[in-house]
Amino acid sequence: MSYNTPGYGGYPSAPQGPPPPNHLVWAILTTIFCCLPLGIVSIVFSTQVNSKWQSGDHAGAQKASNNAKTWAIVSAVIGVIAGILSFVIQLALAS
Amino acid sequence: MTQLMSSVRRSASSLRGGPPRGLLAPLGVLVIAVTVIGYLAAVDPNEGGNYPTCPFLALTGHQCPGCGALRTIHALAHGHLGEAFGLNVFVVTMVPLLAFFWIRWTVARARGRPTRTKAADPRLIWAFLVLVLAFWLVRNLPFGAFLAA
Repeated sequence: MSYNTPGYGGYPSAPQGPPPPNHLVWAILTTIFCCLPLGIVSIVFSTQVNSKWQSGDHAGAQKASNNAKTWAIVSAVIGVIAGILSFVIQLALAS
Repeated sequence: MTQLMSSVRRSASSLRGGPPRGLLAPLGVLVIAVTVIGYLAAVDPNEGGNYPTCPFLALTGHQCPGCGALRTIHALAHGHLGEAFGLNVFVVTMVPLLAFFWIRWTVARARGRPTRTKAADPRLIWAFLVLVLAFWLVRNLPFGAFLAA
């Protein structure tokens, strides 16, 4: 049986399996520790995972989940680099 | 049939003793969290030069939602709850939330189940986002100085 039977479009399909992860914990951690507003972007994608899953758009929820993960990684990496740069510059200015 | 066999084999191996392999990741996170908190408790962020200043604060002169997080965790680790609330309310309220997520994750891992079986109301996360943005804005305004670190 195919779930993509043509002619039945427009109806949200019943949820199958668990929703994709929304990576909200990473969004919170990067917002607290990375000092960069990029964590905010991750939170926006987290909301999209839940809202698209609820409206039956499972492919969209999965895509938002991947985006949330990517942005969490990007903000964590940029946060660490900015932190190290900031530390080096502050040390240089202090000496 | 093969599915049944493999699931029987899997439950047999989990009965053999020792923590299930799924618990390694939660244990790893716990070890990292305890290490970070221990370090922050021992090496005081209130003394200059121990940690870098937040890049956003250094560049713009304004506080981000996370400013004061290190001092807040230092205060919490020493049991100074009032001082922690005065530094960064957002970080203090996130501690029980993150603990909840960790416990839910660990329990799900121990049972071999998915971490969440249904998505929470997205309006909850939207409200959370609005609160974070409001906190960011207000702590930088004169009347919101009590929220600044």
